[in-house]
Amino acid sequence: MAPQVFSIAQTPITAHAFSADRSQVAVSLNSNDIQVLSYTGSDWTATETLSEHDKIITSIDWAPTSNRIVTASQDRNAYVWQQTPDPETGKVVWKPTLVLLRINRAATHVRWSPKEDKFAVASGARAIAICSFDPENNWWVSKLLKKPIRSTVLAIDWHPNNVLLAAGSADMKARVFSAYIKEVDEKPSPTVWGSKLPFNTVCGEYASPAGGWVHSVGFSPSGDVLAFTGHDSTINVVYPGGPTVHIIRMSTLPLITLAWTSEQTIVAAGHDCQPLVFGGSEAGWQEMGTLDDGSHGGSSGPRSGPGRLNTGAFQAFKNADSRGQGATSGDTKLNTVHQNTITSVRPYQYGSAGEVSSVSTSGVDGNLVLWDANSVTAITGRMAGMSM
Amino acid sequence: MDVNFRKIDIDAFDEEILQESELYEQDPRDPAQALDEMKQIQGAVRSCLAKNDTVGALSAVLEHAPYGPTMEDAKIVSLQALMTILNSTKATEIPAAVKSLSQDSQDTLMKYLYKGMAMTGSADTNASVLLTWHEKLTEVAGTGCIVRTMTDRRTV
Repeated sequence: MAPQVFSIAQTPITAHAFSADRSQVAVSLNSNDIQVLSYTGSDWTATETLSEHDKIITSIDWAPTSNRIVTASQDRNAYVWQQTPDPETGKVVWKPTLVLLRINRAATHVRWSPKEDKFAVASGARAIAICSFDPENNWWVSKLLKKPIRSTVLAIDWHPNNVLLAAGSADMKARVFSAYIKEVDEKPSPTVWGSKLPFNTVCGEYASPAGGWVHSVGFSPSGDVLAFTGHDSTINVVYPGGPTVHIIRMSTLPLITLAWTSEQTIVAAGHDCQPLVFGGSEAGWQEMGTLDDGSHGGSSGPRSGPGRLNTGAFQAFKNADSRGQGATSGDTKLNTVHQNTITSVRPYQYGSAGEVSSVSTSGVDGNLVLWDANSVTAITGRMAGMSM
Repeated sequence: MDVNFRKIDIDAFDEEILQESELYEQDPRDPAQALDEMKQIQGAVRSCLAKNDTVGALSAVLEHAPYGPTMEDAKIVSLQALMTILNSTKATEIPAAVKSLSQDSQDTLMKYLYKGMAMTGSADTNASVLLTWHEKLTEVAGTGCIVRTMTDRRTV
């Protein structure tokens, strides 16, 4: 299946989240507003705008069962949006509820817990706010995970048991925390990450050898394995028993987002503008290939394989340098589908065995793309395309 | 306008400031011990080069590269040793030498290339030699290798 490409905007898409039935998607187009788009059979059209934040929105998550949207923003706030009938017109509208985050820096990332009774908000305040609903006061209250975070938290992901939380941070560490809330959670059964789990227990702390900000973290579907990507162009897979850490050093630019598609496969993407597939087990991991075979991209003419070097823009500068030619009629399109950094990859459809059969990506180029997670192409010619 | 307030070290007033030393594990060696080791390696490099064993010489330096803020003397010796190797290798032999290095060593070699370029004019650095090595190393290890040089706080 060829990837389905939807050009949503000319501006970057900072975050996207689909509704449970995939008929709607909430996106933020690098602004203070959330657009809810509906699928009309061929394209996505804006049906509603949710305005309440007064700075750039950084992250969106849509709870599939309870049909609530949570948004986080640089204005240090999070809102939970719920569909309720308007008292005057009777029309169903998205109504915001403010969350008391108690953070003094931007909120950077937000995710609902699997049971949807909690959500976690990562922030620049060296803290993660774990939010749960307080029915007595009818608002969302938060409890902060602080120790031993030393810098901005860039990414979070929930363990399927609703208690453990993985966090990637700019202090170059990926950590696994307990986010156990007495009022909400039942006592969790022991996992590979530990058995006694009071709030703020640090169950693991991992770093890749060359350091770098940890851009994204993810638990495998079983929750027994942790993957994280760093700004040192590596993807690391952690088995906590030993612990065994498999490090894949890539020859390309850093990955900034990842999604597990099964217990043995991960799709990850980033500054190289294409979703890459990694596969393996406790014995070892390797790069399997790419979802972008380079034949659907924007560039016409001879292909040198996906990759960022040796593109039109690169050639234009090269010609200007070596031959003194001005940039006149260079083809500046990349031959990847995404024309700029991919900032988010998320599961889109699930197969019969519970594995992810397709994923969605969005990025700085304003495109939203749906990919068949199984049509993996080996990477060819990429290194050739990088010749200087 | 009084701009002296800009000179105030505001980090000194932040109790929770993230220190450089907390970002990576320190080199386990004592500075004097590392300096001795690098001097021995410098000798080993010469004998490797006499036998035309470029890869052996490179590995000797790269696998024991000193890093961290206290290692300045050892770092200079290791850079000199490495420059001896780079300057005495024929351009046609570079790709094979680079390919036979481990990924860790390739990353460390890239660090030395950038360090060399930052110090042209001293420690026997030669810009054209460094650029040739840089080109060949990038062809093998890719842009990821350069990214790792930029992110890694364990500077050589």
